Amino acid sequence: MSTVPDAAAVARPEPGAPARAAAPYMNPYLGGVGLGLVLLAAYVAMGRGLGASGAVTSFVAWAVSLVAPGHASANSFFAEYLDGGLGHPLKTWLVFEVLGVLAGGFISGALANRLSRTVEKGPRISVAGRLGFAFAGGALMGIGAKLARGCTSGQALSGGAVLNAGSWAFMMMVFAGAYALAGLMRRQWR
Amino acid sequence: MSAPFYKFAAFGDEASLVIAFVIGIGFGFFLERSGFGSARKLTSQFYLDDLAVFKVMFTAIVTAMLGVFYLSWLGIMDLALVDLVTTNLWPQIVGGLVLGFGFVIGGYCPGTSLVAAVTGRIDGMVFVLGVLAGIFAFGEAFPLLKGFYESGDFGRLTLPQAFHLPYGLVVFLVVVMAVGGFMGAEWVERRFAPRAEGR
Amino acid sequence: MARPHWTLNRALAAVAMLLGVVAIAGNPHRGSTVRLDTQELATIVSSEVDHVTVQELADWIIQGRTEYRLIDLRSEDEYAAYHIPFAENVPVARLPGYGLGRNEKIVLYSEGGIHSAQAWLLLRAQRYPGAYILFGGLEAWRDEVLYPVVPAAATPQETAAFERAAQVARFFGGGPRVAAGADSGARISLPVMPAAPGAGIAPPRAPAAGGPARPGAKQRRKEGC
Repeated sequence: MSTVPDAAAVARPEPGAPARAAAPYMNPYLGGVGLGLVLLAAYVAMGRGLGASGAVTSFVAWAVSLVAPGHASANSFFAEYLDGGLGHPLKTWLVFEVLGVLAGGFISGALANRLSRTVEKGPRISVAGRLGFAFAGGALMGIGAKLARGCTSGQALSGGAVLNAGSWAFMMMVFAGAYALAGLMRRQWR
Repeated sequence: MSAPFYKFAAFGDEASLVIAFVIGIGFGFFLERSGFGSARKLTSQFYLDDLAVFKVMFTAIVTAMLGVFYLSWLGIMDLALVDLVTTNLWPQIVGGLVLGFGFVIGGYCPGTSLVAAVTGRIDGMVFVLGVLAGIFAFGEAFPLLKGFYESGDFGRLTLPQAFHLPYGLVVFLVVVMAVGGFMGAEWVERRFAPRAEGR
Repeated sequence: MARPHWTLNRALAAVAMLLGVVAIAGNPHRGSTVRLDTQELATIVSSEVDHVTVQELADWIIQGRTEYRLIDLRSEDEYAAYHIPFAENVPVARLPGYGLGRNEKIVLYSEGGIHSAQAWLLLRAQRYPGAYILFGGLEAWRDEVLYPVVPAAATPQETAAFERAAQVARFFGGGPRVAAGADSGARISLPVMPAAPGAGIAPPRAPAAGGPARPGAKQRRKEGC
């Protein structure tokens, strides 16, 4: 049964472990409805969907501009996210949305006693190995998200809801790619 | 006042940032509620015993899709003013594959990694660092990638347009596919449920 | 094994299927019927607040302002032959469905003033409060900005003022011309579409280095998704 998180079933001796058991997860269909309503609210209020990678990109562009401003504006990719004179690069809708994501995720985790300093991994891999894969996976994600102009929240979820053809193609490829490598990665998770 | 409210100048940019924050709270909240702050739960999708990723994602898509469709049909919303990211088919296909690889290797996607990081998952935090590095690398390599990045430009293309079907019919087909998929998912989960575990 | 939420899931699925089936017959695209408040529109027309003169537009372009969108309502061939810098080509027939924002400032022009005035009405009817007409259209642009007429027997002030007009004209690829005489009746040809306005020529008032930014780029700094 998948409604009780692994945290309750697997022993974790870290000091950050919660004293009480973590609450079970929400029915995925209800969670999906909630998520869908949030996405709908974004479309109704702003005419746009959600996102995450765009905010991270603004952050990267801003950081590069701090360290090497000339290089940042010379690079056509970063420069687009800076476009000086139109306000601070971090003052974008997505950056504020992402701040909200952090807050909302924290609130939900706190309410459900799911806050814990831990490393999510399977039993057959070390912490160092897991962290190495996490970084590598993140880097691949960053590249893929920029190529596709969005990640699962921005392209798949948001574009999917408005029947964007590119978003649906993207979404199918994400599942294809993940399933393709799942066998290789079994050691990390199972 | 019609929707999308921002496109009708119901409020300005400053207010929209506040709205962004509030919507983000909802987003992060439901991601965590569904267990997407946990890499193990997320990747269970790919080992077929916990298909929550599929269920949550497609329920969300269907919910928002039906909402947008009905609001537009009732004339409350103007579909023409809704942002549609242009379809650049080739980079989106390749990007999707790469993202899929990153998903099963890293265990998160950018949105869920933020939720994981904020609930204490160290691997989530490292994942976010990885995303930063990946985006930086992409930016640096951009002059080389620019041609491919801009290829396959089909403009603003929806599925109804691509398949020459009425919008409402595509909505129906998506709902059927999703509900059928959910029934299939329940069956698959039972079939691949881990044995000898008190779950 | 107990399956929680079974009836709830079935209820959700049933609702979704119902909404999906009903959707087959639906059309999410707004109809093209509008309601007009004729008194309100008549008042706006007589107050003439919806005009933009060609001199103002020329100044905006030189200053590199980006908070407006300039729409050329003529055909694609006419647009390709010459268009005011930074204009977007939207033939009148395509205007209703074109993605313009209701919080944008939209300046419309055509050859004279007829199509732009009609397009203004179309936009106004669809509740675009920011629609403006370029007064005099391309004809006025040609006669007053591109090829301003040298005044005969001018006073010193007039000559000085005209000098600026001549600079603007050269910036856009034209130049001052002598009044009447041989030119009357002959259609003045428009200059070849320059790659960028004022290429190689110092603009009358120095804009930001690198030339004017693209209009419509206002808050369209890339945000991604």
